[in-house]
Amino acid sequence: MPKTFGYAGKILRINLTRKEVKTQPTEKDLMLNFLGGRGFNAKRLYDEVGRHVQSLSPENKLMFATGPLVGTAFPLGARFNVSAKSPLTGIFGDSNVGGHFSAEMKFAGYDQIVIEGKSPKPVYIYVKDQEVQLIDAQHLIGKDVYETTEVIRSDLGDRSVQVAAVGPAAENLVLYAGIFVNLARPAARTGMGTVMASKNLKAIAIRGTGSVKIANSKKFWKIVDEIKEETYAHPQYWPRRIMGTTRILMLADRLGILPTRHFTSATFEAAARVSGERLAREFNVKNRACFSCIVPCSRFYVIREGAYAGLFGEGPEYEALGSFTARVGNSDLELALKAIDLANRLGLDAITAAECIAWAMELYEKGELTKKDTNGLELKWGNGEAILALIRKIAYREGFGSILADGVRKAAEKLGKGEEIALHVKGLEIIQADPRGLKGYGLGYAVASRGADHLRSEPFIELSDDPEKGKELFGVPEATLRLSYRGKGKLVRFFENWCAIIDSLEVCKNLAENMELLPFKKAAEIAEAVTGIHFTEGSMFEIGERIVNLERAYLAREGIRRKDDYLPERFIKEPLPNGNSKGAVFEIEPMLNEYYAEREWDLKTGIPKAEKLRKLGLDYVVEDLRRNGVNID
Amino acid sequence: MKRIVVDVNRCAGCRLCEMTCSFRHENEFSSSKSRITVLKEDFFGLDLPVTCWHCNPCSAMESCPSNAIQRKMNGLVYVEEEKCVGCGKCVESCVIKAIKLHPEKNFPLICNQCGGKPLCVQECPTKALAYIEVEIEKPKLPSQILAETLKRWKIIA
Repeated sequence: MPKTFGYAGKILRINLTRKEVKTQPTEKDLMLNFLGGRGFNAKRLYDEVGRHVQSLSPENKLMFATGPLVGTAFPLGARFNVSAKSPLTGIFGDSNVGGHFSAEMKFAGYDQIVIEGKSPKPVYIYVKDQEVQLIDAQHLIGKDVYETTEVIRSDLGDRSVQVAAVGPAAENLVLYAGIFVNLARPAARTGMGTVMASKNLKAIAIRGTGSVKIANSKKFWKIVDEIKEETYAHPQYWPRRIMGTTRILMLADRLGILPTRHFTSATFEAAARVSGERLAREFNVKNRACFSCIVPCSRFYVIREGAYAGLFGEGPEYEALGSFTARVGNSDLELALKAIDLANRLGLDAITAAECIAWAMELYEKGELTKKDTNGLELKWGNGEAILALIRKIAYREGFGSILADGVRKAAEKLGKGEEIALHVKGLEIIQADPRGLKGYGLGYAVASRGADHLRSEPFIELSDDPEKGKELFGVPEATLRLSYRGKGKLVRFFENWCAIIDSLEVCKNLAENMELLPFKKAAEIAEAVTGIHFTEGSMFEIGERIVNLERAYLAREGIRRKDDYLPERFIKEPLPNGNSKGAVFEIEPMLNEYYAEREWDLKTGIPKAEKLRKLGLDYVVEDLRRNGVNID
Repeated sequence: MKRIVVDVNRCAGCRLCEMTCSFRHENEFSSSKSRITVLKEDFFGLDLPVTCWHCNPCSAMESCPSNAIQRKMNGLVYVEEEKCVGCGKCVESCVIKAIKLHPEKNFPLICNQCGGKPLCVQECPTKALAYIEVEIEKPKLPSQILAETLKRWKIIA
């Protein structure tokens, strides 16, 4: 085999129905045109999981992909992407996670692992370099994520084996179950854990003794040194080390975008009490880091007294913290930590779970639900007992929990009420930032390929409210003003392409994007130093554009059109009642027109134009879409 | 003598020490080829880099059937690769489990402190590693460090 740099050079395919294991060389086309991670998965998902595949059928494929920089000393973390058709949204499903699994995958020798079919009985996969075994997992059924990981590590007699596991929520086919690595790090969104469990697959354990070689070590270390210097001098370095993403809670409160009591308020009177600052001051004992990261932003907390004394663990991040505090009206930080721990162990997506709970709470507070509907639970804002009970009920699909276990869109359908306040886009629940006070983020939620989500674009620069930046980057000063609508199409397109690159190199967005440590040019330089493949600032931008367009083509094939690129009514009709974005509503039409024009997508349908896809080398996609009855010109 | 010591409160477990070590000595990135290994206990949030303490006496040296493990004048333990038979006795007998075998060449990987300027120490992002004079010949066992740390964090009484 020719020497490969950066990439492991192999793809592993496991068919669980036929108990068949195959390896194939990583296609050159993937490396050149899709870079890695998210790009690899997007391409294979488009090619191999078509319109007629049901999400929870054996025909769906679950893909894990890592990136070319992973498994080196490149200091911006090491992540991987999990993708499949989503059972929650029915469209493109995808989630990205850090920790130490990704590097182990590279050391074992794989760029991508594709899981096909369905095992006749519960198994877990053990990969040790070239050796792949399917191991009986009957003894793991019903075990939570923590127990599963522990048992596998002791069964294999190897504390260093990396485990990606699902919990009871996935086994019970809750549609938003995640896949968890290093216990408390989930690839949580869009129900990838549910797909895994539907294949009777409880976990993947991986261990590699191989190595990653790089093409140009002189250039590599030069770039690494530059990035390190920049990182240590960065104003966000210490806040991130001390609080990680939990620092955002107070920030969001100050800006008037902190979703409180199911987005009926934009500030939370108890914000300081549930903040990252308080967590750091009173509970954190140390930092933890993803593989090869110089900003160890994850924290380990211990609760020493009170109702939850003896609870300890890694995390949480802002999304989970905001979920189980402001969003559900809970001002008890320790209770939130307990709720997040429970959601992790049972294997749920905290964001979606909290939206379902907050949605039910709002209906209850309005009198549209009563104790009769909720199995006797008093769903008042912030009722801790009810929150913990509902998390369990959801995970085990018991009673009222079963209604919430399919996500908020379907819950509203099943109950025949609350549709106008079911806060999702394309079936994926909205995160902890109110789009009324952040127009670019809002546009990002509306058009993101996996449904409402900030990580597809994360136009953080909007928070600067600095018109000079907008002028410099996009020629529109308003582009970087958070309450303005102008220039947002340009803004979101640029940031979507950037995020696609970062997700495909599989480094951390907090550092690479938010801290601006890896702009397109530098991404090209480091990718070239590692892989030996020639990349430029322009070719990187184009790869990002290609990935976004291919994902959009996937959505188009599934029937997604312009009408689906909208935000829920609440944001359009109800002005923000308080805080520093008071009075703001969200109007999408002008932004959407600008965005489609920037993207060269059809203004009426939102489908990429044939000419655009051809320019990106996606000619076969044009033919495929036509074969599938998509009107494309 | 000078030794590599660890502040377990500071180590975040990023394993950049493993990466810089393997690259320095093997010109490639590999946890299996580094002379330092980060033990991790996710449940307790513990990250503990372990590398050769250059104990005197050294149990690995004593267990070696081919006398491949030797001590230099400066006190550092090292392996004479041509004498090594790759039996792995040293791996078993090292009290702190600081030794592993090279996955392809089968000789033990023993830290040589990079000739007095250990790269792992220099590159550690949280300054959890230090290279200082320590006259204690016997290192603490990882299990002991784990127990002490959990007490300090009040995870166990």
